[in-house]
Amino acid sequence: MTLRQFISTSILRAAISIVVLSASVPASAQKFFSFQKDSVPVFRGFAASFDLVGAGLMALSDNGQYEGALRINLHDEWFPIVEAGLGKANHDDEVTKIHYKTSAPYFRIGIDKNLLKDKHGPYRLYGGLRYAFTSYKVDIARQGLQDPVWQWDADFGIKDAKCSYHWLEAVVGVDAQIVGPVHLGWSVRYKRRIAHSEEGEFGNTWYVPGFGKFGDTRLGGTFNVIIDI
Amino acid sequence: MMKRLTYLLLGVVMAACSSIDCPVQSTVATLYQVCDSTGTQMALSDTMTVVSARQDGTEATLIDGQDATLYNKGFGLKEFTLPISYKHPEDVLVFHFDNSNNKDLHVTDTVWIKKEDYPHFESVDCSAAFFHTITDVKFTRHYIDSIVIKNPSVTYDSQTVHFYLYPKSSN
Repeated sequence: MTLRQFISTSILRAAISIVVLSASVPASAQKFFSFQKDSVPVFRGFAASFDLVGAGLMALSDNGQYEGALRINLHDEWFPIVEAGLGKANHDDEVTKIHYKTSAPYFRIGIDKNLLKDKHGPYRLYGGLRYAFTSYKVDIARQGLQDPVWQWDADFGIKDAKCSYHWLEAVVGVDAQIVGPVHLGWSVRYKRRIAHSEEGEFGNTWYVPGFGKFGDTRLGGTFNVIIDI
Repeated sequence: MMKRLTYLLLGVVMAACSSIDCPVQSTVATLYQVCDSTGTQMALSDTMTVVSARQDGTEATLIDGQDATLYNKGFGLKEFTLPISYKHPEDVLVFHFDNSNNKDLHVTDTVWIKKEDYPHFESVDCSAAFFHTITDVKFTRHYIDSIVIKNPSVTYDSQTVHFYLYPKSSN
């Protein structure tokens, strides 16, 4: 079999699989995933966005993230989206004297649905889901720690401990066209950790890139500047 | 309306909530249970005092000027808790057993506890802690018949018994 034949066969198999899968999806689900019937084309372009909340946190505090996203507009109804960012924390706690440092990229993939009846208007109300993942290293240190009973020095240190984190986010957001291709929008997110690992089982991590502070509220949010491209 | 909502929510999102979630029980210590030869929990009939010691087993009454007594004159003990060092491969403890009514009893045993220490982290808001795995225990046999490791893992769990302490039945 030549390479061309192989590719043709693969595409054919994939197409048959999708058709069979579509046939097996219940009618109500098919209706949910369908597009409104009108003259507007299905593919409506891309939108790139940048989150101001994470950048603001980065500027004003010792942890935060730079985050951007690329969203595909399918008929102003469905919006498959990829989000990527760089999360950082460099924290010295005044009370416990613990130093915590991490810096790593993170990724989210998901889809939003425009919940408004008027799909093609200047405003959108989104509901969506994300799967998110990050692999990161942490440094945790407490210099000058002394054993309270034996009085020996007991410096506390975890260096370059490899960790990973997987989580899901339920998203609700709005998007408003401001001028031309520029939109502003916010989203509120409910986050649930689904899996994690920490090298050496030293306990928990505190700030997880993209997720935020573990043990804090499970709610998060973004405020986005969005440009249609 | 949607535009106003968009700007309003920026402020709400920026003002994130935060909470401190440290363990209520944050002491890491070892729990000893006193047992008779059949393995049934019993009470010590003598007064017990435990002090820390130097590596050679000689008693240290003061460590850097501080009292080295870890447990002072416990009587009728069925179980007791002793601290464990943060980051030292071996703790040496000197147990004194006294009873002025019982032939003026004054007996001393030394216990060496070998362990591995692991830093444990909950949050930057919580104090740094060490967890431990007990790897070996040695002891002199003047009052103590034996000490057996029941559970080698020493964590925040204050309910788990780590050692069974068997006094000699002749005491």
